[in-house]
Amino acid sequence: MATFGEMSIREIQRGLAAKEFSAADVARGTFERIAAADETVHSFLETTETLALDAAARIDAAIAEGRLAEMGPLAGVPVGYKDNMNLTGTHTTCSSNMLKNYVSPYTATCVENTLRAGALPIGKLNMDEFAFGSSTETSAFGPTRNPWDLERVPGGSSGGSAAAVAAGLVPVTLGSDTGGSIRQPGSFCGLVAVKPTYGVVSRYGVVAFGSSLDQVGPFTRTVEDAALALNALAGRDELDCTSQPCDVDFTANLAEGVAGMKIGIVPAFMEAQGLTAEVKAKVAEAADQLRKLGAELVEVELPHAQAAMSAYYVLGPCEAFSNLARFDSVRYGYCDPGHKDLGSQYEASRHEGFGPEARRRIMLGSYLLSAGVYDKYYYPAQQVRTLITQDYTSAYEQVDCILTPVAPRTAFKFGEIGDPTEMYLSDMFTISINIAGNGGMSVPVGLGADTNLPVGVQLIAPAFKDKNMLRVAAALETVYGVAPVAPAFADGKVGA
Amino acid sequence: MKTLEEVFETWEAVIGLEIHAELTTLETKMFCGCKLEFGADPNTHTCPVCLGLPGALPVPNRAAIESIVLAGLATNCDIEKHSMFYRKNYMYPDMAKNFQTTQGPIAFCMRGHLDLDVDGRGASERYRLDALKPGEAEGNITRTEDGYVAHVGITRIHMEEDAGKMIHLGGGEGRIAGATQSLVDYNRAGTPLIELVTEPDLRTPEEARLFMQKLRQIYLAIGISDCSMEEGSLRCDGNVSLRRRGSTGLGTKTELKNINSFKNLHDGLAYEICRQAEVLEEGGTIYQETRHWDPSAKRTIVMRVKETADDYRLFPEPDLAPYDLSDEFIEAVRAKLPELPDQKAARYSADFGLSAYDARHLVDHRATADFFDECMALAAAEADGSKFAKPLANLIINDVTAYLNAHEGEALADTPLTAARALSLVKLLTADTISSKQAKEVFAAIMDEDKDPDAIVEARGMKQVSDTGAIEAVVDEVIAANPDEVARYRDGNDKLIGFFVGQCMKAMRGQGNPKIINELLAKKLG
Amino acid sequence: MTQHLSEADVRGIAEYTRIGLTAEEVVTMTADLNAIIDSLAPITEFDLDGVEPTFHPIGDLSNVMREDKVRGSFTQAVALENAPKQEDGSFLIPSILGEGGDR
Repeated sequence: MATFGEMSIREIQRGLAAKEFSAADVARGTFERIAAADETVHSFLETTETLALDAAARIDAAIAEGRLAEMGPLAGVPVGYKDNMNLTGTHTTCSSNMLKNYVSPYTATCVENTLRAGALPIGKLNMDEFAFGSSTETSAFGPTRNPWDLERVPGGSSGGSAAAVAAGLVPVTLGSDTGGSIRQPGSFCGLVAVKPTYGVVSRYGVVAFGSSLDQVGPFTRTVEDAALALNALAGRDELDCTSQPCDVDFTANLAEGVAGMKIGIVPAFMEAQGLTAEVKAKVAEAADQLRKLGAELVEVELPHAQAAMSAYYVLGPCEAFSNLARFDSVRYGYCDPGHKDLGSQYEASRHEGFGPEARRRIMLGSYLLSAGVYDKYYYPAQQVRTLITQDYTSAYEQVDCILTPVAPRTAFKFGEIGDPTEMYLSDMFTISINIAGNGGMSVPVGLGADTNLPVGVQLIAPAFKDKNMLRVAAALETVYGVAPVAPAFADGKVGA
Repeated sequence: MKTLEEVFETWEAVIGLEIHAELTTLETKMFCGCKLEFGADPNTHTCPVCLGLPGALPVPNRAAIESIVLAGLATNCDIEKHSMFYRKNYMYPDMAKNFQTTQGPIAFCMRGHLDLDVDGRGASERYRLDALKPGEAEGNITRTEDGYVAHVGITRIHMEEDAGKMIHLGGGEGRIAGATQSLVDYNRAGTPLIELVTEPDLRTPEEARLFMQKLRQIYLAIGISDCSMEEGSLRCDGNVSLRRRGSTGLGTKTELKNINSFKNLHDGLAYEICRQAEVLEEGGTIYQETRHWDPSAKRTIVMRVKETADDYRLFPEPDLAPYDLSDEFIEAVRAKLPELPDQKAARYSADFGLSAYDARHLVDHRATADFFDECMALAAAEADGSKFAKPLANLIINDVTAYLNAHEGEALADTPLTAARALSLVKLLTADTISSKQAKEVFAAIMDEDKDPDAIVEARGMKQVSDTGAIEAVVDEVIAANPDEVARYRDGNDKLIGFFVGQCMKAMRGQGNPKIINELLAKKLG
Repeated sequence: MTQHLSEADVRGIAEYTRIGLTAEEVVTMTADLNAIIDSLAPITEFDLDGVEPTFHPIGDLSNVMREDKVRGSFTQAVALENAPKQEDGSFLIPSILGEGGDR
């Protein structure tokens, strides 16, 4: 039998309904699987056995009373959470020494929503420190490995969330995406990975990186699972002023196909410097497949997308600088011992607590917001955001969805990219979507011809029309099949 | 050091105020649902938001936005429909997020003003006021009969949040200087706070004091804060600089921080003006610095020198949606605007003929104004009720105010003086039943014994004579002694009845029962 | 590479952000920040005259507020649960003025 992590949500729920296994079996089986296989992958930082078994008991009680269907779209489904999501009683470390011993006294709305939908909370997943990175190498607790090739990074910053699904440990994880942090690891690990429109999922309780850019979304292996997870996650939260009502059944039009849909292709993206031939070929192939399925391909221009990268590296650090000021050793977090004055305690604690990339972004943001500099970078970046948003608005007058690469290449090796500015290029195709705020997702389209590693294509939808991209993704899934667990971890193998 | 008057011969002071008021009358904090409560155990009114926990997000309190709009309408501000919250970034341990959520260049309330009535001794601080004739204007002041009116601009009122509270350990008297450790309590963190900034339109310490006092009256009248200077819910910083008379430039200013009473505001500014004049006249330099007024030592001491302007890295708060206030919202707030002190004073003068001085002093405190209103509402049931206004005003401005000043912390509402008793007392006085001297005795007795004036008058032998025989003898004497008036009365001049009553009362030293006197007079004259 | 920031500037920023950097780290940080700032050049090369900024990518959403109603607060114990140091129900910190003055 397949491990629970290899099953889809529907498969698990069918098994539960047929009493082939109980929710407690699912929970226990999942922890056994993690114990066996995650030593090599290092995706989980903490597992939450008690919480999962308590949740399973509630599901099993409901099954006994014939009420499984009432327990929500994620009933009995193991779910893992990126470690920037608060869950009461668990550590929420953001993979930083700063929060190594921090225990959440409250639960993030997105986590709460999965629990309310019946999920079994399995644990917390590794990430780049405070989500600063594209490889999960900046985690203070060691990197996560890509289950497709243990010598390679899973992408980042939500690398643990991607690797856990790719290794068949859990069927659903949550990640957060500020510039590509869901989609890029989704592509590197060959998964369905969705960054919904800003405002679809509440950010309350998710440790902020770039407040105007961050959005939470799911990693799954099937498009339907992603849609079911979104059904649980989406909606207005009175604790997040920027969340918006979202009364949509994301599964509703998955089977409609793409016949008659207009899908945008961005020629400039296909010619972008750094885009590898195998990725380019895969994107072109996916476009061709969609055309064969009846979609009309339309070339669209996003003339300001070239500025997205610099806008992002202004806005992200500025917001991060301010968001990370609260880590000061007073109320929580790392406190360097033995200081007689607060100033030296501040400086030592923040120096020791933050890794190099976090320090770099904090200092960059502080510089960019300083008097005189603000008008040179921050303000223009917000104007550029207007232009980029207008680009998308114009494009969506012509098309229902846009198809682009996710990342310029497949997963790279540990240490292969050392220079921060080169690392930033990983997000060149994903960033403009965070700037504009609309939804984007990664959909696996098989392996690259040269590296034999997973390649994803990015589908981008107009704001709050996230179901458009899910519909296209479902069509691609009919061509490329459901995303597989990484071969070394398939059928219960542990990757050794 | 020279006196203020001497300094003003050469120098002109330029004063601006920054006044913070906590919206203490709300239920909850600015950005979270924690209860607002002064004096609770430390850190018992906190949550992820006001503790600045990772991942927490702010949600603004609608009532706080309504309150600041109300404050803006009450101080003649333009209400800005489009505004945003900003983050003001600086690290300080009482600020849980290490940024303060505040407003940027555009605040909810912009470009307001208050007109100050400066009279009496306070007006004499103004340099060469006598050069102006009543009605004449110069700069932002207009001369009046007994002083002047100063028109003081308000730059803005913006919405922000308060910080937590700290207790400093190991230093002298809980001061931060010399402290080895501090305790931080975030109960106050996130309390809704509105900051009003004036234009540098104030020229004397008295004007600054009056501005603060008038603003406090307004805030109390609109009910947005308890305005307790002791508990820190109303706080004032004063900026002051000097320039030579006749020059228009601005000198280097110093800032007086955390002034906690009207007197300290006045005295601190007065000292600082004299200190600056001394420094300048000795050829010294004024440094831009924050100073603290020490009322016991009667001097200001430097707290912090500002070498460069603070760079707070202000930027729009991404976690909060912008504001786009509708006309409906603003008008709904306007509908809640009560009668303001100035309007009330104008009404007292118009409706009851009170002098401007009396009217203004009645509205000095909301409690006394409300009490006066209550008394006048009862008086309206009497014939010619407005005749009680002046004696009621006297009672409140003199006796009641003196009593409240002598009994600090006692609210008027908690004293034995009810509106009904005040009116009874004033009626006794107006009817000449008791003398004004006796009235003071009766007032003191009300407060001491918690009894009605009539009972007190009776118990103390101020009791009127009601013996019909005794009164009849007096009535007969009065009729006999005033044959002309008797004739005129019998010719139809009914009003003369008052004359006869007065004569009888006089003869009986104010103790005759007016009802019996009236009855007997009517019978005997009829 | 343009020298946007000197090492002295970087030391100043480190002081403001309260991140103690070693002398060596200042050197590396200065180089890193200058390289990153160089890469931001495209933002300075657009004609942005008359373009309104978008501070919030939330469309027309505005005036989001809550009613003035009390929600639960933490107990004192929970509020202090993660405190590095505490005393008498409060967070305990070392001398503030050691850091060089009041606000």
